[in-house]
Amino acid sequence: MIGANGRGGPREKMKVEDMNVFYGSFQAIKDANLNVAEHRVTALIGPSGCGKSTFIRALNRMHDLTPGARVEGRVMLDGENIYAPSVDPVTVRHRIGMVFQRANPFPKSIFENVVYGPKIHGLRSHKALVEVAEKSLRAAALWDEVKDRLNRSALDLSGGQQQRLCIARVLAVEPEVILMDEPASALDPIATSKIEDLIGELKRRYTVVIVTHSMQQAARISDSTVFFLLGELIEVGTTSEIFTRPKDKRTEDYITGRYG
Amino acid sequence: MIQARRRFTDAFASGALWGAACFVVLMLAALVGYLIYLGGSAISWHFLTGMSSEMNAGGGVGPQIYNSFYILILTLVFTVPVSLAAGIYLQEYAATGWFRSAVQFSAESLATVPSIVMGLFGLLVFVQTLRWGFSALAGALTLTVLNLPALTRVTQEALASVPGTLREASMAVGGTKWQTVLRIVLPSSIGPLTTGIVLISGRIFGETAALIYTAGTSVAHGRAAYDLSPLRPAETLAVHLWYTHSEALIPDVTRIGNGSALVLLMMVLIFNVVARVVGRALTMHITRKA
Amino acid sequence: MIAGNANNAHRNESVALALLKSASAFFIVSIVVLLGYLTFEGTKLFTVDHKSIFEFLFSPTFSPDTGQVGAAPFILGSLFVTGFAIAVGGPFGLAVGVFFSELAPPRVAAAMKPAIEVLVGIPSVVYGWLGLTLLVPLIRNMTGSTGFGLLSAGIVLSLMILPTVISLAEDAMRVVPNSLREGSLALGATRWETISRVLVPAARSGLAVAVILGIARAIGEALAIQMVLGNSPTIPHGLLNAASALTSEIVMDMGGAIQGSVTQHALFSMALLLLLIAMSLIVLVKFVVRRAT
Repeated sequence: MIGANGRGGPREKMKVEDMNVFYGSFQAIKDANLNVAEHRVTALIGPSGCGKSTFIRALNRMHDLTPGARVEGRVMLDGENIYAPSVDPVTVRHRIGMVFQRANPFPKSIFENVVYGPKIHGLRSHKALVEVAEKSLRAAALWDEVKDRLNRSALDLSGGQQQRLCIARVLAVEPEVILMDEPASALDPIATSKIEDLIGELKRRYTVVIVTHSMQQAARISDSTVFFLLGELIEVGTTSEIFTRPKDKRTEDYITGRYG
Repeated sequence: MIQARRRFTDAFASGALWGAACFVVLMLAALVGYLIYLGGSAISWHFLTGMSSEMNAGGGVGPQIYNSFYILILTLVFTVPVSLAAGIYLQEYAATGWFRSAVQFSAESLATVPSIVMGLFGLLVFVQTLRWGFSALAGALTLTVLNLPALTRVTQEALASVPGTLREASMAVGGTKWQTVLRIVLPSSIGPLTTGIVLISGRIFGETAALIYTAGTSVAHGRAAYDLSPLRPAETLAVHLWYTHSEALIPDVTRIGNGSALVLLMMVLIFNVVARVVGRALTMHITRKA
Repeated sequence: MIAGNANNAHRNESVALALLKSASAFFIVSIVVLLGYLTFEGTKLFTVDHKSIFEFLFSPTFSPDTGQVGAAPFILGSLFVTGFAIAVGGPFGLAVGVFFSELAPPRVAAAMKPAIEVLVGIPSVVYGWLGLTLLVPLIRNMTGSTGFGLLSAGIVLSLMILPTVISLAEDAMRVVPNSLREGSLALGATRWETISRVLVPAARSGLAVAVILGIARAIGEALAIQMVLGNSPTIPHGLLNAASALTSEIVMDMGGAIQGSVTQHALFSMALLLLLIAMSLIVLVKFVVRRAT
């Protein structure tokens, strides 16, 4: 397993311990445990409704915003439990950013979208904001397409550009971990491959956890893969292991297409 | 046979519903036309800007129009911040709990208080207990309490029209709730919010019953009529229309009344059109959607 | 560090919440102060002037200067004009609401609805003025009466409650699930049969709320009816008789009433009565809504 192969191997960035998630009385996640390696891409796969989106939203306390949702267990970030009572969820989300299924740019200019995070965290100087915007847009592989129209509304961009803008917006606050909930599911193949290339770049500097409904996508971009079924974390392994030699019969059935 | 009768009933009932709707619209058109017909000849530059007269014919409604706008703006200064805050609290912060229920129930109750009763309340509290006398401020504060519930509802509905994904996006880059509301949710709801505020402004402009015994039925003479002080009696145009008919001694009551009624109607139409046009333009500007 | 963060954003957050909460608390304070003040002033007639509640509610003579404080003429006047408005404007408003929800082609609705919204915005004095200059002379010419009276007031009020009833009725019809519409039409029912036998019964609590709030609108209206009622403080004997209502009497007499006088106390008692009626209508709405769910 990645993160367990000793010296020179990647450090453990996040660790999920005995996580249970409930919506009211419905249990959406059962006893999940997971180590997330630093500077790697971890893919969460499974049939729809298996709990992978619920799981990823528990990793930066987005469930705090859902009435009736309850998370049990511990989620460690560099050894600190993000669910500890003394921890501020806002700071957690500053360090663990999230990109959503559908691009959700603010109805503001491209520039204002990117610098929104730095601004609310106290960056005032216009010069510094301009630098952050360029850096983040470059990192999100969007700079060349938008550099001449930073003051135009973000809503004028295409769907794929909007999603890369949302990634740039997250990068601008320099998080350590980036969570992505099916970031390409609403995009066409060309836009999708741009996002996938981008994810490959991002892992040099960030730790990436991504939910995907496409096994091909998981195989292309991830270093390790996690398989969920009916709210249970069934199997974790390197992506090549999972796709070539799954240990669990249910993983194998899913990989070979028996769950659809 | 039965089929034919059913078909006839259906056609007849549909026709009746169409008729009812057309009747309402035609009646409105007729009333508007009638007011224009009556008031058209009364309205002149002199009428709109001239001093009102207590005894003689030929008076205008300049000070009353000024007072209507004065009280409208003063009312908005109080109502808008409080309603925005309460609307934000109810929509974005308070999920459940006794405090929320109490606020909600109070708002619903306030919304049904008849405006003449609110006027009496204003008379008791502002005019008599606080000894402000009949004054623009007493009128504006009475109208504030009267219009808070409606504007709070408008705020809640405007905020509810902002997609939750925008809130998530702000939270996901470490925005606090307040930062999210202030920088994302509120600016995104500016279209419906503007529409609502302007529509309610139209109502404030035409309010009468709550003002008779709070802002009073008199204006000062000469330049003092355009005083900026909130602690002076300030008869508005709507109150003037009521007062001329019921109490005044002037011989050209009908002319003044017809003109005032038409000006009030025109203001309502203008507020309605502005509310819609500006609200839609802002929404389109922000969301890039038609 | 993710723990123990006490920066500006945090202080702003709690300051903001405190401000929002106090703005909301203002609602509670307002209604409590309003109820308190009016209860205090509105019961002075009974506690200070020692009039009986029975006399206030049922005696037909209102002459506070001679110590007679019977508000029955005004109560009856209010009930009558409100009843008239609901009897005429209610069915009309419900019909137009149903029309907008079920029959109106989108373009027709888009053209007609702004008109309804203008109807809401017209100030009540303008309705009163229209009644005074259009309706009163019309009725005078047709009947030979003065034209002022219950009939004129009832007609003006019928018009004024229309927008309230229309928009609430439309909302009530719109929340009926489409599956009911489709289900009924699929059985071969005509559109009218679907409306009258399926949709209206399904929306009945919402339609009831529309009528109740129409009543609330009518009973609280003051100026428009004051201008056409004729303002006679006696029990009316017919539609064409001049009369008074609770609201119109307050408008008429409040200006001349001396602070602390029996007259003023009696007027505050009427205001309190109006407030109680309005609030019980709200409770009734709550009851209807709760029973429906």
